[in-house]
Amino acid sequence: MSGLQVISYLSIAVFPVLLIAKMVRIARMPVHLRWDLYPIPHEKGKSAYGGSYFEEVDWWTKPRVRSLISELREMAKEIVFIHSVYKHNRPLWVFSFPFHIGMYCLIGLMALLVIGAIMGAAGIVVSADSANGFAVLVQHLTRILGAAGWILSVVGVLGLLFSRLLNRELRVATILSDYVNLLALLAVFATGLVSWITVDPSYAIMRGFVRSLITFQPVTGLPAATATHLWLMAGLLFYFPFTHMTHMVGKYFTYHKVRWEDEPNIRGTRIEQAVQAALGYKITWSAPHIKTGSTWADAAMTTGEVKNHE
Amino acid sequence: MSKRRTTLKDFSHKPGQLVELDRRQFLPLPPPYDKWDTEPEIKPLSEERQRQLECDLDGISAFKFPRPQSEEEKRRLVEQFLAGLKKLFERENNWTFQQALFLTMEYCARCQTCATACPIYAESGKMDIYRPTFRSDIVRRLYKKYVKAGGKFFAVVSGNDIDVTWTMVARLMELSYRCTLCRRCAQSCPIGVDNGLVTHELRKIFSQEMGVAVEALHTKGSVLQLEAGSSTGMTPAAFLDNVEFMEDEVKERTGLSFKWPMDKAGADILLIHNAGEYLAWPENPEAFAIILEAAGISYTLSSDIVAYDGVNYGVWYDDVQLAKVALKHMETARKLGVKKVVIGECGHAHKALTVIADRVLAGDLNIPRESSMTLLRDIITSGRIKVDPSRNDDITTTLHDPCNLVRLMGVVEPQREVLRAVSNHFREMTPHGVDNYCCGGGSGFAITQDLNFPDFREIVSGRAKLRQILNVFQDIIGPEHKKYVCAPCSNCKGAIRDMFAAYGLFERCNILYGGLVELVVNAMPEIERPFLEWDWH
Ligand code: SF4
Ligand code: SF4
Repeated sequence: MSGLQVISYLSIAVFPVLLIAKMVRIARMPVHLRWDLYPIPHEKGKSAYGGSYFEEVDWWTKPRVRSLISELREMAKEIVFIHSVYKHNRPLWVFSFPFHIGMYCLIGLMALLVIGAIMGAAGIVVSADSANGFAVLVQHLTRILGAAGWILSVVGVLGLLFSRLLNRELRVATILSDYVNLLALLAVFATGLVSWITVDPSYAIMRGFVRSLITFQPVTGLPAATATHLWLMAGLLFYFPFTHMTHMVGKYFTYHKVRWEDEPNIRGTRIEQAVQAALGYKITWSAPHIKTGSTWADAAMTTGEVKNHE
Repeated sequence: MSKRRTTLKDFSHKPGQLVELDRRQFLPLPPPYDKWDTEPEIKPLSEERQRQLECDLDGISAFKFPRPQSEEEKRRLVEQFLAGLKKLFERENNWTFQQALFLTMEYCARCQTCATACPIYAESGKMDIYRPTFRSDIVRRLYKKYVKAGGKFFAVVSGNDIDVTWTMVARLMELSYRCTLCRRCAQSCPIGVDNGLVTHELRKIFSQEMGVAVEALHTKGSVLQLEAGSSTGMTPAAFLDNVEFMEDEVKERTGLSFKWPMDKAGADILLIHNAGEYLAWPENPEAFAIILEAAGISYTLSSDIVAYDGVNYGVWYDDVQLAKVALKHMETARKLGVKKVVIGECGHAHKALTVIADRVLAGDLNIPRESSMTLLRDIITSGRIKVDPSRNDDITTTLHDPCNLVRLMGVVEPQREVLRAVSNHFREMTPHGVDNYCCGGGSGFAITQDLNFPDFREIVSGRAKLRQILNVFQDIIGPEHKKYVCAPCSNCKGAIRDMFAAYGLFERCNILYGGLVELVVNAMPEIERPFLEWDWH
């Protein structure tokens, strides 16, 4: 087994573990005070103008009408169209949009390579002139998604890089790791592009590599362009979870658990239990108006100055 | 001294005042304020004050924080600051916002989409220090360096390093009062990162750990409210006197004679106003009393300490103070046995008690809270009182959306329905609703009246609102037309009052500001004399 294969197995294993570990860490943080931000799309009939259930007299006596469809529509707009960047930062969207679409195409490409590799292992030839109709479809889709993915992602990442360099507002807010991240992405995408154009237009080599991983067979004779791309890709998978580039995870929480989280504290509900528990937490804030070492509940009932340090 | 550009290195190290506020660099205003000499000045602090107080950010002082006298004192303050920073990320100490803050620290893509959304940054002519992420990035670097494991090493290799000096902490302290917490930036952020939250949490380090806060919010704010009963200093006895006075005034202005319900156990509603209304704008609680009396609503006011003042300044700077005040409000509601608490025209009181404090109220203190906007809408649409909008026909109206009520709570339409019912000449500002601009007085700015801070509020943080007001009335801007900015929020009214005074808006343009209920009473046919006293404002 080659070093590249070993590192690929490791990166494929480590990437989801790190991502999930971070998600679990965030999810296990305690209930927080409400910090809603409107519009909230699941407010049925009101989300278009940003209204909430607080617009109803005796809102707590009325059933809460939530629209899952409207929430899903909003999510789709964000995920597919990168809508908030389109709305609030059009010059950046010109690159952010192709970059993200390029990434989605490349994720699709990976899935198709896996499917193709499994078919190959099962003895079905995946090519444009295969006898198997599905294999022909897989081959065509692989080529389309691959072409779109490499081109869009390279254009997008170059655009983002130049925006950072040329736009003063962006440049002054950029730190070293932003450039490192963009260059790392560029290296992976550009080598992928080169490998595709120069040595692997039909993806037979890449698919062969994926097949070797699936079947635990050694692989030899990878062209330098493809091998470089695969090494870089594995490296990126290790590095990625440590960066803000995992913001798809963050975004799930910032939207669903903060901005759109409007669950009222109704007696006997899960929220009330969580609040009760949190009020029992001990605090060590030191200011003189806070009773250090007491519980939140106790501190909230203690008015006037407290002598914390005597 | 640079006017707009600032590096982080300068922020930590450069001695003296970092930037100068020059109104000629700000975005120009529409007529009649399109010449620089028509604008008020930003006054520098006296030399003596500059010597005494930390004002090295932009020459403004909100904190009035005395300059430390020794290196030892500076070191101690920096240590306290860093200790507080760590507590923000601890489960027990900061369960209230830990998750939201963690997300904001971890996921910013530094795309600057939020920058265009911030009125303070835009109106200042894009001064670096006011960029929403400028403040957050400092806090983010501190978090990465001092809170995260292996921080000191990774901070250097990732380019996140930052030098912590007292100069930096003192500037950060003031910088936490150059953001109104309007959260427009958060609304535009593709990732859902919240720079307004960073301001909020930063203020908590100063208050909850170091025991330092803006006087108007803490010592003369929540502390005074908890001790005397109101942040205005009004005691229960003075409150009762005021109510008597207002009963008389209602009789004089309208001929209606009735007692205001006070401490009435078993009423359906406990109505809580911002106590500033009783002193600065008594016509607002008077109009409420007239409407609720005419509609036959079962309600009561309370003369209990704290319960006659709906303000809760804790929501801007201190979670513990927030909880203390909210508990006091709700203890009175429980004692009176009301079905619900209704909050008068005060945006932050709405948000504090209805939304934010929802999760500090447990058991029988968790009595429902509701906006007066919905109650008023119901009273009018159900025909419980009659209104004739033609009685307001000589006035063109517009509506200011208080951030707390609208973007942060989703109460958008009820006040519009009421306004449309009582005004035939209502026009919307651009943008409005959840996309509105802050009045400039958010997060405690409206009540911070010390030194030259009001200049910042009137000329920088309120500038976007002033522009909107001038624009919406631009075709009738002359003094021959009566114009009314309806601002259903006590704090917004305070900020607008001061801004109007600084610019002479009433005198030059005949624009008056006021609440919603005053327009409603003005439209009630059974009241003969106009309730709005235009020239006596
Ligand atoms: S806060 Fe949001 S909009 Fe602003 S720079 Fe960070 S990711 Fe971009
Ligand atoms: S909360 Fe408002 S004032 Fe503060 S940074 Fe964001 S947009 Fe600017």
